[in-house]
Amino acid sequence: MTTTILELFEVSAWAGIAAVGFGILFNIPRKAILTVFLLGFGAGFIKFVLLHYNINIVLASLIAASFVGILSLPLAHGIHQPPVVFSIPAVIPMIPGYYAYEMVLSIMSFTFLEKDDSKRLVFMEAIFSNGFTMLFILISLTIGVSLPLLLLRKHTAKRVDLR
Amino acid sequence: MKTENRLESIADLLLEIASILMVSGANTNRVDVNIDRFASVLNCESYSLISQKTMILTVIDNETNENYTKVKNLPAHKIDFTIISAISKVSWNALDEDWSLSRISQEIETIKKQKRYPRLVVLLAVSFAGAGFCKIFGGDYLNLALAFISTFFGLFILQAAHKRKFNTYVSVFLASLTASLLASLGVYFNFGAQPEATLATSILFLVPGVALINSFTDLIDKNVLNGVVRFTNGIMTVLAIALGLFVAMLIFQLK
Repeated sequence: MTTTILELFEVSAWAGIAAVGFGILFNIPRKAILTVFLLGFGAGFIKFVLLHYNINIVLASLIAASFVGILSLPLAHGIHQPPVVFSIPAVIPMIPGYYAYEMVLSIMSFTFLEKDDSKRLVFMEAIFSNGFTMLFILISLTIGVSLPLLLLRKHTAKRVDLR
Repeated sequence: MKTENRLESIADLLLEIASILMVSGANTNRVDVNIDRFASVLNCESYSLISQKTMILTVIDNETNENYTKVKNLPAHKIDFTIISAISKVSWNALDEDWSLSRISQEIETIKKQKRYPRLVVLLAVSFAGAGFCKIFGGDYLNLALAFISTFFGLFILQAAHKRKFNTYVSVFLASLTASLLASLGVYFNFGAQPEATLATSILFLVPGVALINSFTDLIDKNVLNGVVRFTNGIMTVLAIALGLFVAMLIFQLK
Protein backbone atom coordinates (compact mmCIF):
# COMPACT_ATOMS: atom_id res chain seq x y z
CA MET A 1 0.00 0.00 0.00
CA THR A 2 2.71 2.48 1.00
CA THR A 3 4.74 1.64 -2.12
CA THR A 4 1.65 2.30 -4.26
CA ILE A 5 1.16 5.67 -2.60
CA LEU A 6 4.85 6.52 -2.98
CA GLU A 7 4.70 5.57 -6.65
CA LEU A 8 1.62 7.73 -7.09
CA PHE A 9 3.47 10.66 -5.55
CA GLU A 10 6.50 10.05 -7.76
CA VAL A 11 4.44 9.95 -10.96
CA SER A 12 2.43 13.01 -9.89
CA ALA A 13 5.65 14.91 -9.19
CA TRP A 14 6.78 14.14 -12.74
CA ALA A 15 3.39 15.38 -13.99
CA GLY A 16 4.09 18.62 -12.12
CA ILE A 17 7.56 18.85 -13.70
CA ALA A 18 6.04 18.26 -17.14
CA ALA A 19 3.54 21.06 -16.47
CA VAL A 20 6.34 23.47 -15.52
CA GLY A 21 8.39 22.42 -18.57
CA PHE A 22 5.53 23.33 -20.85
CA GLY A 23 4.86 26.46 -18.85
CA ILE A 24 8.41 27.61 -19.57
CA LEU A 25 7.98 26.76 -23.25
CA PHE A 26 4.88 28.99 -23.20
CA ASN A 27 6.85 31.67 -21.33
CA ILE A 28 4.71 31.90 -18.19
CA PRO A 29 5.65 34.64 -15.70
CA ARG A 30 8.24 33.58 -13.08
CA LYS A 31 5.75 34.11 -10.26
CA ALA A 32 3.43 31.46 -11.71
CA ILE A 33 5.97 28.61 -11.86
CA LEU A 34 5.33 27.22 -8.36
CA THR A 35 1.57 27.45 -8.84
CA VAL A 36 1.80 25.58 -12.14
CA PHE A 37 3.87 22.85 -10.50
CA LEU A 38 1.39 22.42 -7.64
CA LEU A 39 -1.62 22.42 -9.98
CA GLY A 40 0.05 19.91 -12.33
CA PHE A 41 1.00 17.76 -9.34
CA GLY A 42 -2.52 17.90 -7.87
CA ALA A 43 -4.23 17.18 -11.18
CA GLY A 44 -1.85 14.30 -11.87
CA PHE A 45 -2.40 12.89 -8.39
CA ILE A 46 -6.20 12.99 -8.72
CA LYS A 47 -6.06 11.41 -12.18
CA PHE A 48 -3.72 8.58 -11.16
CA VAL A 49 -5.69 7.81 -7.99
CA LEU A 50 -8.91 7.59 -10.02
CA LEU A 51 -7.19 5.42 -12.65
CA HIS A 52 -5.90 3.23 -9.83
CA TYR A 53 -9.53 2.56 -8.83
CA ASN A 54 -10.36 1.64 -12.45
CA ILE A 55 -12.32 4.79 -13.25
CA ASN A 56 -12.55 5.50 -16.97
CA ILE A 57 -9.77 7.79 -18.21
CA VAL A 58 -12.20 10.31 -19.73
CA LEU A 59 -14.03 10.78 -16.42
CA ALA A 60 -10.74 10.86 -14.51
CA SER A 61 -9.40 13.57 -16.84
CA LEU A 62 -12.62 15.57 -16.48
CA ILE A 63 -12.43 15.48 -12.68
CA ALA A 64 -8.72 16.35 -12.63
CA ALA A 65 -9.19 19.20 -15.11
CA SER A 66 -12.15 20.53 -13.11
CA PHE A 67 -9.89 20.56 -10.05
CA VAL A 68 -7.50 22.79 -12.01
CA GLY A 69 -10.32 24.96 -13.35
CA ILE A 70 -11.99 25.49 -9.98
CA LEU A 71 -8.73 26.19 -8.11
CA SER A 72 -7.50 28.55 -10.81
CA LEU A 73 -10.22 31.08 -9.88
CA PRO A 74 -9.08 31.85 -6.32
CA LEU A 75 -5.45 31.51 -7.47
CA ALA A 76 -6.02 34.10 -10.20
CA HIS A 77 -7.10 36.51 -7.47
CA GLY A 78 -4.22 35.48 -5.21
CA ILE A 79 -1.29 36.00 -7.57
CA HIS A 80 -2.94 38.51 -9.92
CA GLN A 81 -2.64 36.61 -13.19
CA PRO A 82 -5.39 35.58 -15.59
CA PRO A 83 -6.40 31.92 -15.00
CA VAL A 84 -5.24 30.65 -18.43
CA VAL A 85 -1.64 31.36 -17.52
CA PHE A 86 -1.54 28.46 -15.08
CA SER A 87 -4.57 26.36 -15.99
CA ILE A 88 -3.43 25.46 -19.53
CA PRO A 89 0.14 24.37 -18.61
CA ALA A 90 -1.28 22.36 -15.69
CA VAL A 91 -3.54 20.25 -17.92
CA ILE A 92 -0.99 19.82 -20.72
CA PRO A 93 0.43 16.60 -19.10
CA MET A 94 -3.07 15.13 -19.42
CA ILE A 95 -3.24 15.82 -23.19
CA PRO A 96 -3.98 12.38 -24.69
CA GLY A 97 -0.78 12.19 -26.73
CA TYR A 98 -0.49 8.46 -26.26
CA TYR A 99 -3.94 7.84 -27.73
CA ALA A 100 -3.16 10.12 -30.66
CA TYR A 101 0.07 8.18 -31.19
CA GLU A 102 -1.74 4.81 -31.10
CA MET A 103 -4.44 6.07 -33.43
CA VAL A 104 -2.02 7.42 -36.01
CA LEU A 105 0.10 4.27 -35.92
CA SER A 106 -3.02 2.15 -36.44
CA ILE A 107 -4.05 4.33 -39.38
CA MET A 108 -0.60 3.97 -40.91
CA SER A 109 -0.57 0.19 -40.42
CA PHE A 110 -4.14 -0.11 -41.69
CA THR A 111 -3.41 1.87 -44.83
CA PHE A 112 0.13 0.94 -45.76
CA LEU A 113 1.38 -2.18 -44.03
CA GLU A 114 -1.26 -4.82 -43.38
CA LYS A 115 -2.87 -6.81 -46.19
CA ASP A 116 -4.60 -9.53 -44.13
CA ASP A 117 -8.30 -8.61 -43.69
CA SER A 118 -8.82 -10.01 -40.18
CA LYS A 119 -5.77 -8.11 -38.90
CA ARG A 120 -6.95 -4.94 -40.61
CA LEU A 121 -10.17 -5.27 -38.60
CA VAL A 122 -8.13 -5.13 -35.41
CA PHE A 123 -6.49 -1.90 -36.61
CA MET A 124 -9.92 -0.52 -37.49
CA GLU A 125 -11.04 -1.11 -33.90
CA ALA A 126 -7.84 0.50 -32.60
CA ILE A 127 -8.33 3.60 -34.79
CA PHE A 128 -11.86 4.16 -33.50
CA SER A 129 -11.33 3.38 -29.81
CA ASN A 130 -8.11 5.40 -29.55
CA GLY A 131 -9.39 8.25 -31.72
CA PHE A 132 -12.60 8.76 -29.81
CA THR A 133 -10.91 8.37 -26.43
CA MET A 134 -8.50 11.11 -27.50
CA LEU A 135 -11.34 13.36 -28.65
CA PHE A 136 -13.37 12.90 -25.48
CA ILE A 137 -10.36 13.48 -23.23
CA LEU A 138 -9.62 16.71 -25.11
CA ILE A 139 -13.22 17.87 -24.72
CA SER A 140 -13.28 16.98 -21.02
CA LEU A 141 -10.00 18.83 -20.42
CA THR A 142 -11.43 21.95 -22.04
CA ILE A 143 -14.72 21.72 -20.20
CA GLY A 144 -12.94 21.08 -16.91
CA VAL A 145 -10.67 24.11 -17.32
CA SER A 146 -13.37 26.52 -18.47
CA LEU A 147 -16.19 25.07 -16.34
CA PRO A 148 -16.12 27.57 -13.44
CA LEU A 149 -16.17 30.60 -15.73
CA LEU A 150 -18.89 29.00 -17.85
CA LEU A 151 -21.02 28.22 -14.81
CA LEU A 152 -20.62 31.70 -13.33
CA ARG A 153 -21.43 33.24 -16.74
CA LYS A 154 -18.54 35.64 -16.37
CA HIS A 155 -16.00 36.54 -19.01
CA THR A 156 -13.35 37.50 -16.53
CA ALA A 157 -12.05 36.09 -13.28
CA LYS A 158 -11.53 39.57 -11.85
CA ARG A 159 -15.20 40.41 -11.34
CA VAL A 160 -16.14 37.07 -9.75
CA ASP A 161 -17.03 37.69 -6.14
CA LEU A 162 -15.47 34.99 -3.99
CA ARG A 163 -17.04 36.05 -0.71
CA MET B 1 -9.80 66.07 -38.90
CA LYS B 2 -8.26 65.95 -35.47
CA THR B 3 -10.72 63.34 -34.19
CA GLU B 4 -9.99 61.18 -37.21
CA ASN B 5 -6.29 61.19 -36.34
CA ARG B 6 -7.17 60.27 -32.77
CA LEU B 7 -9.47 57.51 -33.96
CA GLU B 8 -6.81 56.21 -36.30
CA SER B 9 -4.24 55.96 -33.55
CA ILE B 10 -6.83 54.28 -31.30
CA ALA B 11 -7.59 51.76 -34.04
CA ASP B 12 -3.85 51.14 -34.50
CA LEU B 13 -3.37 50.60 -30.78
CA LEU B 14 -6.35 48.27 -30.42
CA LEU B 15 -5.28 46.23 -33.46
CA GLU B 16 -1.76 46.04 -32.09
CA ILE B 17 -3.05 44.75 -28.73
CA ALA B 18 -5.42 42.28 -30.39
CA SER B 19 -2.69 40.94 -32.66
CA ILE B 20 -0.20 40.51 -29.80
CA LEU B 21 -2.82 38.65 -27.77
CA MET B 22 -3.86 36.42 -30.65
CA VAL B 23 -0.28 35.57 -31.56
CA SER B 24 0.59 34.83 -27.92
CA GLY B 25 -2.09 32.15 -27.70
CA ALA B 26 -5.14 33.84 -26.16
CA ASN B 27 -8.52 32.47 -27.17
CA THR B 28 -10.81 34.66 -29.24
CA ASN B 29 -13.05 35.56 -26.32
CA ARG B 30 -10.11 36.87 -24.30
CA VAL B 31 -9.00 39.05 -27.23
CA ASP B 32 -12.54 40.44 -27.57
CA VAL B 33 -12.90 41.18 -23.87
CA ASN B 34 -9.50 42.89 -23.64
CA ILE B 35 -10.17 45.04 -26.70
CA ASP B 36 -13.57 46.10 -25.36
CA ARG B 37 -11.98 47.04 -22.06
CA PHE B 38 -9.32 49.22 -23.68
CA ALA B 39 -11.91 50.80 -25.99
CA SER B 40 -14.12 51.75 -23.06
CA VAL B 41 -11.13 53.40 -21.33
CA LEU B 42 -10.60 55.51 -24.46
CA ASN B 43 -14.29 56.42 -24.57
CA CYS B 44 -14.96 54.45 -27.75
CA GLU B 45 -16.85 51.43 -28.89
CA SER B 46 -15.10 48.77 -30.95
CA TYR B 47 -16.35 46.05 -33.25
CA SER B 48 -13.97 43.50 -34.67
CA LEU B 49 -13.68 40.49 -36.93
CA ILE B 50 -10.88 38.32 -35.61
CA SER B 51 -9.33 35.48 -37.55
CA GLN B 52 -6.03 33.66 -37.34
CA LYS B 53 -4.22 35.70 -40.00
CA THR B 54 -6.15 38.96 -40.35
CA MET B 55 -8.17 41.31 -38.16
CA ILE B 56 -10.68 43.98 -39.09
CA LEU B 57 -11.61 46.53 -36.44
CA THR B 58 -13.96 49.51 -36.37
CA VAL B 59 -13.79 52.09 -33.58
CA ILE B 60 -16.65 54.49 -32.97
CA ASP B 61 -16.23 57.61 -30.88
CA ASN B 62 -18.91 57.66 -28.18
CA GLU B 63 -19.36 61.44 -28.33
CA THR B 64 -19.09 62.39 -31.99
CA ASN B 65 -20.20 59.02 -33.46
CA GLU B 66 -17.36 59.25 -35.98
CA ASN B 67 -15.88 55.93 -36.96
CA TYR B 68 -12.69 54.49 -38.35
CA THR B 69 -12.01 51.03 -39.78
CA LYS B 70 -8.70 49.31 -40.29
CA VAL B 71 -7.36 45.90 -41.30
CA LYS B 72 -4.20 44.28 -39.95
CA ASN B 73 -2.33 41.13 -40.90
CA LEU B 74 -0.99 39.08 -38.01
CA PRO B 75 2.62 37.92 -37.66
CA ALA B 76 3.52 34.27 -37.02
CA HIS B 77 2.12 32.77 -33.83
CA LYS B 78 4.43 32.35 -30.85
CA ILE B 79 2.85 31.38 -27.55
CA ASP B 80 3.74 33.74 -24.71
CA PHE B 81 1.65 33.70 -21.53
CA THR B 82 3.64 36.48 -19.88
CA ILE B 83 2.34 38.87 -22.53
CA ILE B 84 -1.26 37.70 -22.03
CA SER B 85 -0.92 38.20 -18.30
CA ALA B 86 0.76 41.61 -18.64
CA ILE B 87 -1.83 42.95 -21.10
CA SER B 88 -4.64 41.79 -18.86
CA LYS B 89 -3.06 43.66 -15.95
CA VAL B 90 -2.54 46.82 -18.01
CA SER B 91 -6.17 46.72 -19.12
CA TRP B 92 -7.43 46.62 -15.53
CA ASN B 93 -5.04 49.36 -14.40
CA ALA B 94 -6.08 51.48 -17.37
CA LEU B 95 -9.74 50.98 -16.49
CA ASP B 96 -9.28 51.78 -12.81
CA GLU B 97 -7.00 54.80 -13.29
CA ASP B 98 -8.49 56.06 -16.56
CA TRP B 99 -5.27 56.03 -18.57
CA SER B 100 -4.68 58.17 -21.66
CA LEU B 101 -3.93 56.84 -25.14
CA SER B 102 -0.20 57.60 -24.96
CA ARG B 103 0.16 55.99 -21.52
CA ILE B 104 -1.42 52.76 -22.79
CA SER B 105 0.71 52.60 -25.94
CA GLN B 106 3.81 53.24 -23.83
CA GLU B 107 2.94 50.29 -21.57
CA ILE B 108 2.25 48.04 -24.60
CA GLU B 109 5.68 48.95 -26.01
CA THR B 110 7.40 47.90 -22.75
CA ILE B 111 5.41 44.64 -22.75
CA LYS B 112 6.53 43.91 -26.30
CA LYS B 113 10.16 44.34 -25.31
CA GLN B 114 9.98 41.78 -22.48
CA LYS B 115 12.48 38.96 -22.74
CA ARG B 116 11.65 35.27 -22.98
CA TYR B 117 13.41 32.57 -20.98
CA PRO B 118 16.93 31.87 -22.32
CA ARG B 119 17.10 29.16 -25.00
CA LEU B 120 19.02 26.70 -22.84
CA VAL B 121 16.53 27.01 -19.97
CA VAL B 122 13.65 26.28 -22.36
CA LEU B 123 15.51 23.30 -23.86
CA LEU B 124 16.23 21.82 -20.42
CA ALA B 125 12.74 22.48 -19.05
CA VAL B 126 11.01 20.88 -22.02
CA SER B 127 13.39 17.92 -21.90
CA PHE B 128 12.45 17.42 -18.25
CA ALA B 129 8.81 17.57 -19.34
CA GLY B 130 9.56 14.84 -21.92
CA ALA B 131 11.14 12.73 -19.19
CA GLY B 132 8.07 13.37 -17.03
CA PHE B 133 5.77 12.14 -19.79
CA CYS B 134 7.91 9.01 -20.10
CA LYS B 135 7.51 8.40 -16.35
CA ILE B 136 3.73 8.88 -16.63
CA PHE B 137 3.60 6.20 -19.33
CA GLY B 138 5.52 3.75 -17.19
CA GLY B 139 9.14 4.08 -18.25
CA ASP B 140 12.01 3.43 -15.85
CA TYR B 141 14.88 5.87 -15.29
CA LEU B 142 16.91 4.57 -18.26
CA ASN B 143 13.92 5.25 -20.51
CA LEU B 144 13.52 8.65 -18.90
CA ALA B 145 17.12 9.54 -19.71
CA LEU B 146 16.65 8.63 -23.37
CA ALA B 147 13.34 10.54 -23.52
CA PHE B 148 15.20 13.54 -22.09
CA ILE B 149 17.89 13.34 -24.77
CA SER B 150 15.43 12.78 -27.63
CA THR B 151 13.26 15.70 -26.56
CA PHE B 152 16.31 17.93 -26.16
CA PHE B 153 17.57 17.34 -29.69
CA GLY B 154 14.07 17.36 -31.19
CA LEU B 155 13.36 20.79 -29.70
CA PHE B 156 16.83 21.98 -30.71
CA ILE B 157 16.05 21.10 -34.34
CA LEU B 158 12.60 22.73 -34.06
CA GLN B 159 14.11 26.00 -32.82
CA ALA B 160 16.83 25.92 -35.48
CA ALA B 161 14.24 25.34 -38.22
CA HIS B 162 12.05 28.17 -36.86
CA LYS B 163 15.03 30.50 -36.93
CA ARG B 164 15.66 29.68 -40.60
CA LYS B 165 11.98 30.44 -41.29
CA PHE B 166 11.07 26.95 -42.48
CA ASN B 167 7.42 26.11 -43.01
CA THR B 168 5.88 25.26 -39.60
CA TYR B 169 4.87 21.75 -40.55
CA VAL B 170 8.26 21.01 -42.12
CA SER B 171 9.93 22.15 -38.88
CA VAL B 172 7.61 19.95 -36.83
CA PHE B 173 8.30 17.00 -39.14
CA LEU B 174 12.06 17.46 -38.82
CA ALA B 175 11.83 17.76 -35.03
CA SER B 176 9.61 14.70 -34.78
CA LEU B 177 11.95 12.73 -37.04
CA THR B 178 14.99 13.68 -34.95
CA ALA B 179 13.34 12.86 -31.63
CA SER B 180 11.86 9.56 -32.77
CA LEU B 181 15.08 8.44 -34.50
CA LEU B 182 16.93 8.88 -31.20
CA ALA B 183 14.15 7.14 -29.26
CA SER B 184 14.02 4.31 -31.82
CA LEU B 185 17.64 3.50 -30.96
CA GLY B 186 16.31 2.59 -27.50
CA VAL B 187 13.72 0.22 -28.96
CA TYR B 188 16.23 -1.25 -31.41
CA PHE B 189 18.75 -2.08 -28.71
CA ASN B 190 16.02 -2.91 -26.15
CA PHE B 191 17.13 -0.25 -23.72
CA GLY B 192 15.53 -0.14 -20.24
CA ALA B 193 12.23 -1.64 -19.10
CA GLN B 194 9.83 -0.02 -21.57
CA PRO B 195 11.59 1.39 -24.64
CA GLU B 196 8.22 1.83 -26.41
CA ALA B 197 7.21 4.35 -23.74
CA THR B 198 10.27 6.41 -24.71
CA LEU B 199 9.33 6.31 -28.37
CA ALA B 200 5.73 7.32 -27.68
CA THR B 201 6.67 10.17 -25.35
CA SER B 202 9.74 11.57 -27.09
CA ILE B 203 7.49 13.42 -29.55
CA LEU B 204 4.83 14.62 -27.11
CA PHE B 205 6.51 18.01 -26.67
CA LEU B 206 5.34 18.81 -30.21
CA VAL B 207 1.66 18.11 -29.51
CA PRO B 208 -0.21 21.40 -30.08
CA GLY B 209 -1.91 21.45 -26.68
CA VAL B 210 -2.69 25.16 -26.59
CA ALA B 211 -4.13 25.14 -30.13
CA LEU B 212 -6.37 22.17 -29.33
CA ILE B 213 -7.60 23.52 -25.97
CA ASN B 214 -8.19 26.98 -27.45
CA SER B 215 -10.05 25.43 -30.36
CA PHE B 216 -12.57 23.84 -28.02
CA THR B 217 -12.95 26.95 -25.85
CA ASP B 218 -13.57 28.95 -29.05
CA LEU B 219 -16.19 26.42 -30.15
CA ILE B 220 -17.89 26.63 -26.73
CA ASP B 221 -17.91 30.44 -27.03
CA LYS B 222 -19.48 30.05 -30.51
CA ASN B 223 -16.42 31.46 -32.26
CA VAL B 224 -16.87 28.54 -34.61
CA LEU B 225 -14.62 29.69 -37.45
CA ASN B 226 -11.61 30.34 -35.21
CA GLY B 227 -12.28 27.11 -33.35
CA VAL B 228 -12.31 25.08 -36.55
CA VAL B 229 -9.20 26.83 -37.88
CA ARG B 230 -7.31 26.13 -34.65
CA PHE B 231 -8.47 22.51 -34.67
CA THR B 232 -7.36 22.08 -38.28
CA ASN B 233 -3.97 23.62 -37.50
CA GLY B 234 -3.68 21.24 -34.56
CA ILE B 235 -4.54 18.20 -36.68
CA MET B 236 -2.04 19.27 -39.35
CA THR B 237 0.65 19.47 -36.67
CA VAL B 238 -0.32 16.04 -35.33
CA LEU B 239 -0.06 14.64 -38.87
CA ALA B 240 3.41 16.18 -39.29
CA ILE B 241 4.47 14.59 -35.98
CA ALA B 242 3.06 11.23 -37.05
CA LEU B 243 4.85 11.39 -40.39
CA GLY B 244 8.20 11.98 -38.67
CA LEU B 245 7.53 9.09 -36.30
CA PHE B 246 6.45 6.84 -39.14
CA VAL B 247 9.58 7.51 -41.18
CA ALA B 248 11.76 6.78 -38.13
CA MET B 249 9.91 3.51 -37.54
CA LEU B 250 10.32 2.54 -41.20
CA ILE B 251 14.06 3.21 -41.04
CA PHE B 252 14.42 0.99 -37.96
CA GLN B 253 11.88 -1.55 -39.25
CA LEU B 254 9.83 -1.33 -36.02
CA LYS B 255 6.21 -2.41 -35.75
